Amino acid sequence: MRPTPRLAIGSMLAALTIFSLFLPGCKKPAERKEGEILIGFSSRDLSAEYTAKLSEAIVEYAKTKPGVKLVMVDAQSDVQKQFSQVENFVAQKVDAIILNPCELEASTPAVDYVKAAKIPLVLVNQVTKSAGDSYIGSNDFEAGRIAMEAIAKKLNGQGGVLMIHGIMGTSAQLQREAGAREVFAKYPGLKLIDQQTASWDRAKAMALTENWIQAHKGKFQAVFAHNDEMAMGALLALERAGIKKDVTVIGIDAIAQALTAVKEGRLDATVFQDAVGQGRGSVDAALLLARKQPCPKENLIPFQLVTLENLSSFLK
Amino acid sequence: MLRACQLTKTFGGLSVLQEASIDFHPGEVHALMGENGAGKSTLLKMLAGLYQPNGGSIEWRGQSVRFQSPHDALSQGIAMVHQELMPIPDLNVAENLLLGMEPVNALGWVDRAELHRQAQSWLKQLNTDLDTHQPMRRLSVAQIQVVEIAKALARQADVILMDEPTAALSNHEVTALFSAINTLRQRGVAVVYTTHKMDEVFRLADRISVLRDGQLVCTKAAIEFSPESLIAHMVGRELAQVFPPITTTPGDVILEVRGLTREPSFRDISFTLRRGEVLGLAGLMGAGRTEVVSAVFGLTPATSGEILLQGVPTRITCPAEAIAAGIGMVTEDRKGLGIVPAMSVGHNLTLAALPQFSRSALLDAAAERCATQTATTDFAIKASSPQQAIRELSGGNQQKVLLARALLNRPAILILDEPTRGIDIGAKAEIYALIGRLSAQGTAVLLVSSELPEILSLTHRILVLRQGKLSAELDPRQTNQEEILRHAMPQ
Amino acid sequence: MNAARPSLDRNFLNRFGILIALITLALVLSVTTDSFASASNLTNVARQVSINGILAVAVTFVLLTGGVDLSLGSVVALSGVVCALFAHPGEYPLVVPISMGLITGALCGLLNGVLVTWGGIAPFIVTLGMMTMARGLALIFSSGKPVADMTPALTNLAGDLGPVPIPVLCFAVVALLAWLFLGRFRLGRHLYAVGGNEQAARAAGVSVTKVKLFAYGICGLLTGLAGVVLAARITTGQPNAGQAYELDAIAAVVIGGTSLSGGVGSIRGTILGVLLIGIINNGLDLQGVSSYYQAVIKGLIIVGAVWLDRRQSRS
Repeated sequence: MRPTPRLAIGSMLAALTIFSLFLPGCKKPAERKEGEILIGFSSRDLSAEYTAKLSEAIVEYAKTKPGVKLVMVDAQSDVQKQFSQVENFVAQKVDAIILNPCELEASTPAVDYVKAAKIPLVLVNQVTKSAGDSYIGSNDFEAGRIAMEAIAKKLNGQGGVLMIHGIMGTSAQLQREAGAREVFAKYPGLKLIDQQTASWDRAKAMALTENWIQAHKGKFQAVFAHNDEMAMGALLALERAGIKKDVTVIGIDAIAQALTAVKEGRLDATVFQDAVGQGRGSVDAALLLARKQPCPKENLIPFQLVTLENLSSFLK
Repeated sequence: MLRACQLTKTFGGLSVLQEASIDFHPGEVHALMGENGAGKSTLLKMLAGLYQPNGGSIEWRGQSVRFQSPHDALSQGIAMVHQELMPIPDLNVAENLLLGMEPVNALGWVDRAELHRQAQSWLKQLNTDLDTHQPMRRLSVAQIQVVEIAKALARQADVILMDEPTAALSNHEVTALFSAINTLRQRGVAVVYTTHKMDEVFRLADRISVLRDGQLVCTKAAIEFSPESLIAHMVGRELAQVFPPITTTPGDVILEVRGLTREPSFRDISFTLRRGEVLGLAGLMGAGRTEVVSAVFGLTPATSGEILLQGVPTRITCPAEAIAAGIGMVTEDRKGLGIVPAMSVGHNLTLAALPQFSRSALLDAAAERCATQTATTDFAIKASSPQQAIRELSGGNQQKVLLARALLNRPAILILDEPTRGIDIGAKAEIYALIGRLSAQGTAVLLVSSELPEILSLTHRILVLRQGKLSAELDPRQTNQEEILRHAMPQ
Repeated sequence: MNAARPSLDRNFLNRFGILIALITLALVLSVTTDSFASASNLTNVARQVSINGILAVAVTFVLLTGGVDLSLGSVVALSGVVCALFAHPGEYPLVVPISMGLITGALCGLLNGVLVTWGGIAPFIVTLGMMTMARGLALIFSSGKPVADMTPALTNLAGDLGPVPIPVLCFAVVALLAWLFLGRFRLGRHLYAVGGNEQAARAAGVSVTKVKLFAYGICGLLTGLAGVVLAARITTGQPNAGQAYELDAIAAVVIGGTSLSGGVGSIRGTILGVLLIGIINNGLDLQGVSSYYQAVIKGLIIVGAVWLDRRQSRS
């Protein structure tokens, strides 16, 4: 056998790496200009619509700030990947990090790592066990409560409800469930017929709802999904079964498709989570921290229920 | 010191060694001679603990022992240097040599300086002086062999078994190996080895045991043999009467091969084959017979040379092209290159001839069934049904299916590579009869066989290969086994 | 004949072991739940298994050659996204988005095949690479966001034709064609030969390269189809759809008795495997089993079914 031409392979890889710098969408590794503030931002998952909206808001808002350079990376819902992205930021000695953590528990080590490196850290939209220097987000407990209250009002406090959970153990899932539970406690007439996770995924929520229609047909009058993706899945399943008119469906996040569905009178309501507000808040907080100025520990952007009546103010 | 007492080994009913008893003495080089399949390697492997004997026993220093594994044998001081060497190519010489017994320092780490010092001292005992830092993959086969021998020495082996140690070596390398073996002899180690090479036996061996068809013929001091008497002992059997008389007269030349070469297996092979002719290809293991016919069939195409079919130069780069050109082949490696084990007898049978059984791309199941029926009857294939998986058949029946497969395409040229290896005598006779019939029908047959009686009785002409080159063309009516062997033995 | 009986029983179990498991499971569910045996739920099960079914048939081709395809899930997402990009209302006729999805899948499959045959790279590595690449391309083409606004003409493809859901029809047609192909076509026979003993197949004049290219190509094409069906069903091209779909598909095929080392297996077995997994999913939801237990039970059933199968065929 010939010896492996390591040199050839090595130079090929090097050439590829250099070439990749010129691809669209690939940012060159941060070249620091004098006095420029460099912010690293790790997004949880750009393929989830709400996160994509939040990330876009962060990137766009940072562009409006002179002397600020923001580098965004996508963790694709992978805790390990996010951790290494954060390590890279620390190695680059960025001035501040905005982290949109993947998970409540599993992302905590990444947060501790940044704090140990003494780099200012802003958490956005998801808390972890350890706190960052500032948290910008919305109280998911509120979102769950608002959505469930809307269902209770619509059903006059009487009826069966199905709940579709997000990925079990994420802070959004835990909080949104807790908020909804509070409403169940308030209205003894509301019954939780069944609950199951669909992992924030539309196709899974659709299959789940189809199965529920078989198991519990006629026994439920409302579906509460922990996000709009899953609410859309439930909606499609109900429409295909021809029983949407008997069932109220409400989700959370107010993604574009959900708003359109509300407009068309298909989806009953969604809860608006202010992606732009959260995005701006987190960039502002990161800049304050980078300049060593005082910054509030927490900045909660309020949720709002979106129905056909107030829809116009949310559609751009 | 080491004694084989009536050792017997059978594989699936086939007896490969029967009641062989040999003594091996310290400080003596003992050669095992015999034709392919005589049982030499089997005997060695039993002594090394690779095979368990079916009968008889092994005595070691006066005690009867049973080796469950090569590791058992090694711990008693019996080491084997294999035909296919198995070093770890990316470790260096010293690491390979002392694998599993590396010197460690107080912390339990490998003491590298000590490792190389020890390795060098072992190699010095064999009068070699290799750089112990180089990785194993850079070494020549002979050098690897020396390292393997040193490895055996380092493990305090009193007996070293070598299976064809010189098969892959050049003359120069053989000399180096022999000097190492001589050193072993002086150190009082018993060396047992097998070889096909006449000259080296007489240069090296103190005593020689001859095996034939699984039986020990004799054990004598090397000086009591002459090359002629040794060959006679190795062959020494009567021609069986199972061979049909070959009566056909060959017709026109159908295949001509000119200067076929594929280094290092064979070079400059030229021959012709006529319609209705049975051409025998004889030679020792590793002489390149299988490689030459594989090149004609396109399994491993030659790197240079020409193949002419009916006078027309033809490029054959894969078996599909060979089959399309009217060549059929039954390979030597029945399991590896013949049967598809999980497929049924019927599907195995028609595999090479599917276009015959299909309309456009769609298979015609009825035609397939019909052909399978005919073939099982014609070839007396014993299977419970055409749907039975072929791996459940006996070797002889599998071979008959493969023959039937090759013949479904009605090839003008049929290559048979060791068609009777490992099958019972009844099936052998049927295959011999078939070769006679094919020849009478005008099919040209290229027959590779290690069984000289087969070659002598079935063919019109015999080509002998030696170390990848044609060494003789013989007329079977005017030659004998001794002459073939003389041409086949490396000089 | 004493020996004949156990071997008869064994053959029986071998042939029908999974079928018996399937029927038992169905019977248990019919008794323990009110809704399982209803016509509408069975339609429901059929609809839910159709995507995994198409993928399982697809990967059967590759597994039969002794290869593997880990890129199924990602290619589903990629072809779904490509299909959705061409499916905005009023832009192109219906045939364009569908064929774009199919072509995308087929190209991915062919590239896998080329790398496996001419590149000589292990299928595991090639398709692992494709898994990442296809996912990346799906994100690039969709700018990381779900591609919505699909023409109703396409999303209606997830609806019903008479009483039968169209995805189920797709699955049935694919399975029927694949069954015919493997049993009745020359190339199908070659597929088994290459998987059973590649060298022997070559020596028998089979073009191993052609057979493998075909297997990966067909696998890709069918994966593209699954992508189109999924996009129609969820009315968007989701770049993150299809995560780990390849594992469900391979599990179904292996449950159906196809050997991971190639050469042994059947479409019939694959269909049974798909149904078994589908009924398990549906049954667990109907029973209201919590998500945590669902995962454990599914894993146990997959390993158990294959273990039983192997134990029978070994004895």
